[in-house]
Amino acid sequence: MISTLQKTIRPMLAARGLHKSAVEVLKSLTPEDTVTASFGKFISELKPQHLSPVVLHRSKRMVLDSIGVGLIGSTTDVFELALQHCQHMYAPDDISSVYGRTGTRLSPTLAAFVNGVATHSMDFDDTWHPATHPSGAVLPAVLALSDMMPANRKPSGLDFLLAFNIGIEIQGRLMRFSNEAHNIPKRFHPPSVVGTMGSAAACARLLSLDPSQCSHALAIAASLAGAPMANAATQSKPLHIGNASRLGLEAALLASRGLEASPLVLDAVAGVAGFNAFYEDYVPQSLESPSDNGHMFLLEEQDMAFKRFPAHLGMHWVADAAASVHKLLVGVGPGKVSPDQVEDIMLRVPKSKYINRPFPESEHEARHSFQFNACSALLDGEVTVDSFTPAVMSRPDLFALLSRVRLEHPHDNPANFDCMYGEVQVTLVGGDILKGRCDTFYGHWRNPLTNESLRKKFRNNAEAVLPSEKVEMLIDVVEELDKFGDCRDLLSQLQ
Amino acid sequence: MLRKGITESFGAAIHALNTTQLTDGVITRSKRMMLDTLGVGLLGTRTAVFNKALKYSQMFTSEERSSVWGKADVALPPHYAAFVNGIAVHSMDFDDTWHPATHPSGAVLPALLALVETLPRPPSGLDLLLAFNVGIEVQGRLMRFSTEAYNIPERFHPPSVVGVMGSAAASAKLLGLSPAQCCHALAIAASSAGAPLANAATQTKPLHIGNAARTGLEAAQLALAGLEGNPAILDMHSGFGVYYKDYSPAAMADSASGGFRWILEDQDVAFKRIPAHLGMHWVVDAALAARVKLQNTDGPFDPSLIRSVTLRVPLSKYVNCPLPATEHQARHSFQFNACSALLDNKVTVDSFHHAQISRPALRELLSKVKVETPEENQPSFDKMYCEVEIETHQGQRHAARCDTFYGHWRKPLSQEDLVEKFSVNASSVLCTEGVGGVLYAIGDIERVRESSVLSSYLRMTNRAVLQHGETLSSHRI
Repeated sequence: MISTLQKTIRPMLAARGLHKSAVEVLKSLTPEDTVTASFGKFISELKPQHLSPVVLHRSKRMVLDSIGVGLIGSTTDVFELALQHCQHMYAPDDISSVYGRTGTRLSPTLAAFVNGVATHSMDFDDTWHPATHPSGAVLPAVLALSDMMPANRKPSGLDFLLAFNIGIEIQGRLMRFSNEAHNIPKRFHPPSVVGTMGSAAACARLLSLDPSQCSHALAIAASLAGAPMANAATQSKPLHIGNASRLGLEAALLASRGLEASPLVLDAVAGVAGFNAFYEDYVPQSLESPSDNGHMFLLEEQDMAFKRFPAHLGMHWVADAAASVHKLLVGVGPGKVSPDQVEDIMLRVPKSKYINRPFPESEHEARHSFQFNACSALLDGEVTVDSFTPAVMSRPDLFALLSRVRLEHPHDNPANFDCMYGEVQVTLVGGDILKGRCDTFYGHWRNPLTNESLRKKFRNNAEAVLPSEKVEMLIDVVEELDKFGDCRDLLSQLQ
Repeated sequence: MLRKGITESFGAAIHALNTTQLTDGVITRSKRMMLDTLGVGLLGTRTAVFNKALKYSQMFTSEERSSVWGKADVALPPHYAAFVNGIAVHSMDFDDTWHPATHPSGAVLPALLALVETLPRPPSGLDLLLAFNVGIEVQGRLMRFSTEAYNIPERFHPPSVVGVMGSAAASAKLLGLSPAQCCHALAIAASSAGAPLANAATQTKPLHIGNAARTGLEAAQLALAGLEGNPAILDMHSGFGVYYKDYSPAAMADSASGGFRWILEDQDVAFKRIPAHLGMHWVVDAALAARVKLQNTDGPFDPSLIRSVTLRVPLSKYVNCPLPATEHQARHSFQFNACSALLDNKVTVDSFHHAQISRPALRELLSKVKVETPEENQPSFDKMYCEVEIETHQGQRHAARCDTFYGHWRKPLSQEDLVEKFSVNASSVLCTEGVGGVLYAIGDIERVRESSVLSSYLRMTNRAVLQHGETLSSHRI
């Protein structure tokens, strides 16, 4: 029986016109069994009832945090630059709104772009495990697309959340295809790899594309993915998220017009790289179609980290460790820490070149510097948004402390957000040694921000550009998003 | 390993290269590339993929607009003009190919022409020619940073890696960016490079070139606006090096010193006679020669007399397709191109129409094809060969081998044949005045005062296009 099935499959596969190596991949599967097809099917067929209460709760927190971070991000130079670029290159369009700019609207993909840039502009957005910044790639695209849809056919709040969660889920699934993804990245900046795919998936869902079109959206997006790590810690980094959002939306729009791409983009075909071009090791797995029993979202098993200050996630460990040393110092002597007290500062941190910067010269570099964040927390007791402003960055006291820092990379401290720790050891003039250690900072998925802390962060961020009534309304709207008839209320509050 | 100054040297060179450094050899060769690219692009505006991209792009509005080739009444925001025109150029796999392998011109020319139309003072033809050559040169330099680039690719589609960098460099040149800004343009562009090979042989492949053109232009404009990236992007393994397994970057020679030499001077491009992957040209020439041998002994060609056809080709999985179903697959199939050549005694633009692909006679012949990949047949456009051996039912064997097809850089198309290819292609959408205008503007580009005149010729469509609007391919891709 099986042998006759094989015999009929082979000419059928050949008749589908596939290249020889692709035929090899499909020999043991029917064409619909490919990993790529399973993803397309999942995106198209998932239903709102598959969203569990935990997933709804967690994803609403992500939506709130992402909006807040995007709003404060709209005050940055890089956002201004990106916005002016879009307005200069393209005429005003009255379709999709822009964070923090009442009355400014752009074409959907451009709005997704600038809002994505805003979201990542200060490195203040959420971080997941394996590492990426999932929401900034998805939310701006979903918002922009919702703005694009006709007034009488806007998605319901629940549809909106479903699309958003699909965008997150796809990213999580893709990262689990390789071991490389589990550690602090060295080659491609993860949001530029999986973020684009997540955005494409979310938008494909919102556009109600069929399974085949959803697959093609992913494949088209793959050709738009991938940016090198070297641009992290530069002013260009936020564009990785902006582009992920924009290009994923574009891929979905092109797929909706019938553009087709590789039907095996997620599968591993020897000699012809697809999505695996971005990874050294790659073992793809099909996504099961959701059954009546529901679907176990990765977000249910693995929560999100939210940042308390705008810097690379790794900084939060050393900041918390240094803050505890600050408390000890302040408790002992006068209420201020002075560099004259300090002889030596030793940081025990994971080895990672791009967050090891002894003397950062820009805010972008400072957000990616173990040394800077440790010293700031040592001096001030905490790191905040203001810690990265030019005046605060160039304090002589800070520089003096920075000159006294040494780094150690213990073998038991891997470059992995699930396992790492940060230790700060301060040797005082006089010989006393003060130590602080942080295994899990407050905000990490193991020690999540309370709803109260999350809202406080949101208020601080959103009030940079919106009046407090609107800020409170936004909190309520997001909280009730799955219960509202349509997402118009969310869209209107953002303008 | 960090080698200081490589990116810096590129930024300095892009900024400093000037028209006096254009040699006669480079001028001649690059003009041929521009002409071929325009013809191929014009023909490409009739494809389904182009029309999908055009419809998509029309959702954007802008104040500045640039021409869409082959369209009298449609203009788009400059980035999207670069996008769709780039797609048109690569839509039929008919555009130029270089060594190491990439399609250099399609990523650069559409971006430059779109940009030209937005500048307050249109650059001269010579300025355009210089910027074009800068874009080509940068691509050539970058490909020489790795040995991986010398063979038929497996991971990233080369135009998506180096094409966007070339477009950024060319656009930066035309915009007159400072050396530092040129570096940042390259850095910003690098974050948009790299599309997986799996999308080659699909309808999305042309977007690799379209996106390279558009995104490179955007990178230059963002750099002009002050955006910064990593100023050592080319120096670092975690920079541009991420796209290659082995990566050894080298600085660009100081263009002011006597030491500067354009790569194009030493390494010409190949122009295609057939709208298909370059490898197909070898197998077609070999098939045609084998066919002649068969006819000389056995009389007029009759496919039913054939027992088997053996192809000896280099190992390259993405052009080994036994039974292509779409035009994109057919353009990437040794088997298909060999059989088309045998059946029709030629392979042309029309060979890839759906009706032709699905002919029973062709399918029948395809079923008789065997492919061998001898180890000494290296998957490199500089070294490969193709052999076609026909065996008849009587046991007669006729074999022929092609080492260098006509159009390859070792055996370049004559100027007459290049112009003929252009004219045939361009006439499919332009009227005679338009065709003649482009020939003149490119032929005499060193003396053209305002390069924007080129775009006006590209809009002089013929009556058929005006009447029917977009001429869509009728078959589903």
